[in-house]
Amino acid sequence: MSYLQLLGLVAPETIVVITALVVLGLDLLILREQPLRHRFWMGAAFAAFGCVLAAAWLLFINSPTHPAGEVSGALPLLRGMFVDDGLVRLVKVALLGLTVFTIAISMESSFTGHVGEYLALILLATVGMMFLVSAEDILMIFISLELTSLSLYILTAFNKRNVKSAEAALKYFLFGGMSAAFTLFGLSLVYGLSGSTGLREIAAKLEQPALDPLLVAAIVMTVIGFGFKVAAVPFHLWAPDAYQGAPTPSAAFIASGSKVASFFVFAKVMMLGFAHAGGSGSWHAYAPGWLPVLAVVAVASMLLGNLAAIAQSNVKRLLAYSAIAHGGYALLGILANGPSGVTSLVYYVVTYGLTVLGAFGVVGLVEERAGEARISDFAGLGRREPLLAFCMMIFMLSLAGIPPLAGFFGKFYVFTAAVGGAKDLGLLWLVIFAIAMSAVSLYYYLQVLKQIYVVPVSAESGSLGAPISSRIVLAVIAFGVVALGCAPDFLVGRLLAAIKLAAL
Amino acid sequence: MVDSQQLREYVPVLILAAVAIAFAFGTLALSVVVGKWANRSRRTGHSTRVKDIAYECGMIPVGDGSSRLSVKFYLVAMLFILFDIEVVFLYPWAVVYKSMLVDHANLIFGSMLTFLGILFVGYIYALKKRAFEWKS
Repeated sequence: MSYLQLLGLVAPETIVVITALVVLGLDLLILREQPLRHRFWMGAAFAAFGCVLAAAWLLFINSPTHPAGEVSGALPLLRGMFVDDGLVRLVKVALLGLTVFTIAISMESSFTGHVGEYLALILLATVGMMFLVSAEDILMIFISLELTSLSLYILTAFNKRNVKSAEAALKYFLFGGMSAAFTLFGLSLVYGLSGSTGLREIAAKLEQPALDPLLVAAIVMTVIGFGFKVAAVPFHLWAPDAYQGAPTPSAAFIASGSKVASFFVFAKVMMLGFAHAGGSGSWHAYAPGWLPVLAVVAVASMLLGNLAAIAQSNVKRLLAYSAIAHGGYALLGILANGPSGVTSLVYYVVTYGLTVLGAFGVVGLVEERAGEARISDFAGLGRREPLLAFCMMIFMLSLAGIPPLAGFFGKFYVFTAAVGGAKDLGLLWLVIFAIAMSAVSLYYYLQVLKQIYVVPVSAESGSLGAPISSRIVLAVIAFGVVALGCAPDFLVGRLLAAIKLAAL
Repeated sequence: MVDSQQLREYVPVLILAAVAIAFAFGTLALSVVVGKWANRSRRTGHSTRVKDIAYECGMIPVGDGSSRLSVKFYLVAMLFILFDIEVVFLYPWAVVYKSMLVDHANLIFGSMLTFLGILFVGYIYALKKRAFEWKS
């Protein structure tokens, strides 16, 4: 395989990398003397253009010819390191879309003067996520995970004038470093046990009736590592501080794009790599393996996330705890352990990412005006800013899971997948618990909406003075949430078709 | 199943861990116990201020233990590591270059060219950001 072929294979990633470098150079060399707003607009437009180009490439050019997914005829070096099938492409397009929206909601922000660096880091994190989604090799997974994480740490610390931002980044970094160590240790045990780094080969080597104690340790370490990434209880401690302290667009990116990629690769590692070490989390047929471990983590996430969110007075923290709870729901998709589980998981995290991105967009605008994002700062938003308030209502209700919004169908698919995933409705207990907990979650989402629509406007607060572009972006995101909810088949149908080919 | 042979391979690691922990805590404990006894003045029976001063090559330590360094030092150190790693990466590449040149000529050449290209962008960036100028 020649180098050009290799570049052609990773063309979307190459496009995004080049865009990142060009944006960096553009800002440093040409736009340096321009006013901040101008620089942000130019940089963001170029970055978004690169993402759209990459997405277009994924959708239209060089569609995968090997339905089995693996790059056949490649160097043996490449086997499983980079998988390019329909499912992966769909997830990548979704990631690029989320990146574009992240860039769009950060276009008007004023927290930093380092525009080029900011946009370049977002794009590099996106490249990391794209490679992460493609990887079926534990080394590649680790490297892309690090590329993503390192960019996200810096993005969290990007508000240099704010002490909280630095604190958040430090916590995120320390927890993330710890989790990376756990992941690496777990994966090294896996390599020691199986003697290979490809997930499918690992699964074939680990096919034994009983669990090796080293394998148990490996599974637990890997779950800890990825649990940190997706902020599942009890590895969630960084999330509230990171979400609250980080600049709002960065927090939105951590909550959306990084979640999508991490959950996808988490599912891949568990379902492919540990395919024969699943055990069972059913209430009547318990068997040791990763399924019961994840079931416990899911229950803890849903319980703590939802209950702790009730007590929050800061909307960013509230969204952080709600993200933990949503991580718990999404884990049900992995627990379903099969094609329907993957479909529901991807649909769930993508729609969740879109919704939370919009919610953070509104929160960012309120924060810009009020200096903080307390729930009381939203008082009377319904009369001050009817459009933004309406968007926020859509996002909150979607997060709570009210039909016909995307959040409802996300939960619906995940729950049905989990019910059908185990023999004899074995995971029914988990689904019943999840439904009960999502009823609890309605309370705190409605608390925010109550502030927006019921609490009277105080005299001094007027409109937010939000720029027209932010309004348009948020309206588009809200429309997307409604549209994905009204026509879920648009995404689910494609996912199912892709999974059938991908043989996951 | 528990493979005792496999687990036995970890015994040296366990011994190393035990030695490391014993050394770390042992020296601390030893310096507390022996230090108290050795620092005691023969005449009065307690330690004196002079004997409690940290030993630093015979000089009398003056000032704060943690002095502030200019942030430039860190910048230079980071840039050094960056380009140092670049060279370290070039060595193994150079070693396999000839053997891979036969079948995968443009792969071996192109990948390093891309790597150097990206690093070159980083170099231009550092230059333009005036990271190499000591005086700001």
